[in-house]
Amino acid sequence: MSSGVAVDLEDIWIRFGDFVAVKEANVAIKGGDFFSFLGPSGCGKTTILRAVSGFLDPSQGQIRIGGKDMSGIGPNKRPTALIFQNLALFPLMKVWENISFSMEVTGASAKQRRKRADELLDMIALDGQGDKLPSELSGGQKQRVAIARALCANPDVLLLDEPLSALDLKLRQHMRTELREIQQRVGITFIYITHDQGEALTMSDNVAVMKAGVIDQIDTGHNIYDHPATPFVASFVGENNVFRGRVKEIKGNEALISTNRSGDLLSSISPSQVGKLAVGDDAMMFIRPEALQLGPAKKSSKTTISANVINEEFEGNSFSVFLEGDGGKSVKMSVPNGGQDKISDRGEVLSLHYNANNAVAMPAGELASE
Amino acid sequence: MKSDSLIRIALGAYLLIFFSYLLGPLLVMSLTAFNSASFPSVSPWACFTYEWFDVLLRDKHIRDGIYYSVIIGIGTVTLSVSMGLAASIVLTQVWPRLRSTYYTLIIAPILIPGVVLGISTLVFWDRVGAFLGVSDETALYGLFHNGLFLTILGQSTFIASYAMLVFVARLQRFDTGLTEAALDLGATHTQAFRKILLPFMRPAIASAAVLAFLASFENYNTTTFTIIDYKTLTTVLAQKVRLGINPSISSLAFIVIVLTVFAALVFEATHHNRKRKDAIAQGKVTPVKKGILPPFMHGNAAAFGLVALACVVIVMIGTAGKHDPQVCKADVREARMLETERRIKVLNETRALREQSEPAESTPNKPALAPSGAFGGVFAPTNLTEDDAEPETETPKGGSGAFDNVFAPTNLDTED
Amino acid sequence: MKSKFFLSEFFKNNGAVMGSLLIGLVGFWLIFLIILPQLSMLDYSFRFNLPPAEQGGPKDVYTLSNYEHLIYGSDITHQTYNSVDLMVFVRTIIAAMLVTIFNIFLCYPLAYFLGQSKGSGFVRLLVVLLIIPYWINEILRAFALRIIFGDSGLLNETLMFLHLTEAPIDFIRKDIALYAGLGYAYILLMLFPMYNVIESLDRNQIEAARDMGASWMRIHRRIVIPHAKPGIVSGATMVFMLSAGALAAPQILGGPSSLWFTQLVYQWFNDSLNWQQGAAYAIVLLVSTIVIVLTVMRFFKVNMGDIGK
Repeated sequence: MSSGVAVDLEDIWIRFGDFVAVKEANVAIKGGDFFSFLGPSGCGKTTILRAVSGFLDPSQGQIRIGGKDMSGIGPNKRPTALIFQNLALFPLMKVWENISFSMEVTGASAKQRRKRADELLDMIALDGQGDKLPSELSGGQKQRVAIARALCANPDVLLLDEPLSALDLKLRQHMRTELREIQQRVGITFIYITHDQGEALTMSDNVAVMKAGVIDQIDTGHNIYDHPATPFVASFVGENNVFRGRVKEIKGNEALISTNRSGDLLSSISPSQVGKLAVGDDAMMFIRPEALQLGPAKKSSKTTISANVINEEFEGNSFSVFLEGDGGKSVKMSVPNGGQDKISDRGEVLSLHYNANNAVAMPAGELASE
Repeated sequence: MKSDSLIRIALGAYLLIFFSYLLGPLLVMSLTAFNSASFPSVSPWACFTYEWFDVLLRDKHIRDGIYYSVIIGIGTVTLSVSMGLAASIVLTQVWPRLRSTYYTLIIAPILIPGVVLGISTLVFWDRVGAFLGVSDETALYGLFHNGLFLTILGQSTFIASYAMLVFVARLQRFDTGLTEAALDLGATHTQAFRKILLPFMRPAIASAAVLAFLASFENYNTTTFTIIDYKTLTTVLAQKVRLGINPSISSLAFIVIVLTVFAALVFEATHHNRKRKDAIAQGKVTPVKKGILPPFMHGNAAAFGLVALACVVIVMIGTAGKHDPQVCKADVREARMLETERRIKVLNETRALREQSEPAESTPNKPALAPSGAFGGVFAPTNLTEDDAEPETETPKGGSGAFDNVFAPTNLDTED
Repeated sequence: MKSKFFLSEFFKNNGAVMGSLLIGLVGFWLIFLIILPQLSMLDYSFRFNLPPAEQGGPKDVYTLSNYEHLIYGSDITHQTYNSVDLMVFVRTIIAAMLVTIFNIFLCYPLAYFLGQSKGSGFVRLLVVLLIIPYWINEILRAFALRIIFGDSGLLNETLMFLHLTEAPIDFIRKDIALYAGLGYAYILLMLFPMYNVIESLDRNQIEAARDMGASWMRIHRRIVIPHAKPGIVSGATMVFMLSAGALAAPQILGGPSSLWFTQLVYQWFNDSLNWQQGAAYAIVLLVSTIVIVLTVMRFFKVNMGDIGK
């Protein structure tokens, strides 16, 4: 199989009339990477994918695949293969004809095509199903046929446009693992579009988080989760409690933030924002629900939050406790299920502790809408 | 409860009137094809006969007309289906602000009177010929004044709009992602069209082609201007109907009606069968294992109708050769002669009576009307003008005398 | 500038070969079959009927005389009006309108009945029965009516048998046959658009209205008819245009003394061989019918896009 080919987006702008769909995107995707674009619907991630596959031209900037400028090269001439959101399997063709379509257009004989299709069917564990029509397959099977069809073209880069969104939860989780396995087996570059952070975090080597046409952060899944660069990333990826306040003091990569409700709180500064946060700035601080722990009341501590319990939900593997927070928003704490009946009573005042390393502070900004 | 049944009765009456208006004339016309009377009528019924089909089949004008209609139909289907398909594809891609203007332009031919389309086609190509300066001798001049060529163009002008409508309906359900997927997999645009869009459009192309052929086949308004020195079935028919009618046209109509019913039943039966197969595939219905009827007829009224119709047609064709209406015709002729004699007698008596009572006002023609009123439809003119042995000859022979001018001419004088 | 943008976009989306093929076919249709023929007919209608030798010569100038002929006849002094042709024109337009209105009233109940009672075998049968006459040749249908309306036709025979009339009624001379024939010829073009829109009406809307105590009249006036409006206007447009432009039915069913406007056009072309005059009459027919249709469509706020649905 072809080994990884790098994809570079250099200063890409895409405009539709007055509307700017993608703004100044600079992305360097390493060869053989599983790279995800993560963002809410309408953020421009599909537009980027269509520009990479050649269905639309960027208004400005350059796309390079394997170092080669792609401008003016049509989708049928690019070394990319796209897996469509609705899969776009050809309904009137048999499965094996679907898979080998890319060979059919180059004039390969039916025998060759059938042979290659059978190999790929083997790979996706659908051997013997080649003569069915796509409509006779289940959702997961169609999914795999779409992947096989794309791989049959021997692309250098596989582009996937939310291919799992139509599947049910169980199958989706199963397909994540399978996709990751396929990617490691064939070793080509995958560019994956999703609005589901779970998919992005589990499968990807690197993730770009997008908001309204702008890429906020490009990093590994780990770093995105633990060290979000912007309030949007912090609030969009995973669950997070936000505390608003003003910077009171800065010491190295830690900041003391004075909040309205919980007094002064200590937090690490997001690595990319170190030096950009100054005393007196409006700031936001994020603490994950699982980073909060129950503890004894210690009034003076700078890593303790005291609040009234609003309610409590049992979620199976954990309890979620909601406490009164800033500006009408509740603070959520997640406690692992240790066999207890309940954690708290309504109206009870709890003291929550955290480690300053697990809190992230950054300049105030826009949050992801819920 | 009472008003409910009243509504039911009203609805039933309305449906009856509507469908009588719609189908009644066709039924009557079909029946006239089997009456031996030389003028198409059902009452009085003379003799059951197949001879009008014979007359029809021997009519060279009609055979020629059908031949040219088919040629024009094939040309029109080819041209209008390709133009309609192209126009519908362009419609899905045309720049949004241009779309309504574009749509108005390509839908307009449906609304332009056929007469106008015919004239404009005729005038335009004549002008093109003049503009190019082609003289009477050249092939190009021949082409621009060729009835077949002009008729195909004239008909395609609006039939393409019909085809376009069929395609637009189908294209709305097309996932453009499929074409993109094909392109993404390396297909050229032509390959993507041929392998993805065309197979998807195939059912629509088939129905558009049928529609276009039928529309072309039955077009009169445009064709009558553009056909010049050729003739199509419709122009032949129009001429025949205008100049005088005989039941061979009814027999043609009967054939057309039977074919239409046949096609409708085939469509219905296959439609029913397909739905049933789908239902069986989805496990909603269990297939019948054993039965007297073949499986395709199970619960399928259309299939029953189809088989029944086929039987009737077979019986008709089978008996056509053996059925001989000559005896019946002789009887009718005899009865009519007796009737005529009696009528003349009555007439003379009436005249004698009237001349006695008011001799001044008597006119020679007037008495002829009086008895026909008194005796209702018994003395239809058809019985008087009919010629039994040679139905094709239309000139009435002697013997019918004075009654001729009273009854027959009204049927011939519409267009002078 | 923008259309240039569209073209480059179009060729990018369709490729050079397919793009040219599509543009070529559509262009041929639009330019050589729709636009130019109409323009050349318009041009023709402003010219004198000259012998071929004089065409393009000094006498070949533009003139309004062909249109003046419709209004004033051959009277050059314009003192008298061409009452015969004008009457034919007015009669054609008015009769076509009446035929249209007649069809609306005749078809609406059936369209409603078919559209709202779904799926039963009886309804299916009715639809098939409707489709059959749709495919019978226009001329044969007119012929069928002529058999019925003829002097010794079924209708007269029946009327006389029932002693409702003494002598046969001349339905043809009285134009009754013609109006019945025109109403008959295009009835399905009224029914099907109406049926299609009414079928798409959610039955719950009617039930909700009934639930709120609306009478049948009100349900139709406030719910069904507003919903069916595009279909009704679409059908009415087709029926009106086709009736006004009908040629076969008037030729076969029309009385000898009263002509249809298309017959005048036909006569100018085929009998008098005066194409220019015929073109002028055709233009008058085309323009006046289109103006009427557009006025009605504007009045009822219906778009061109609704036609042909």
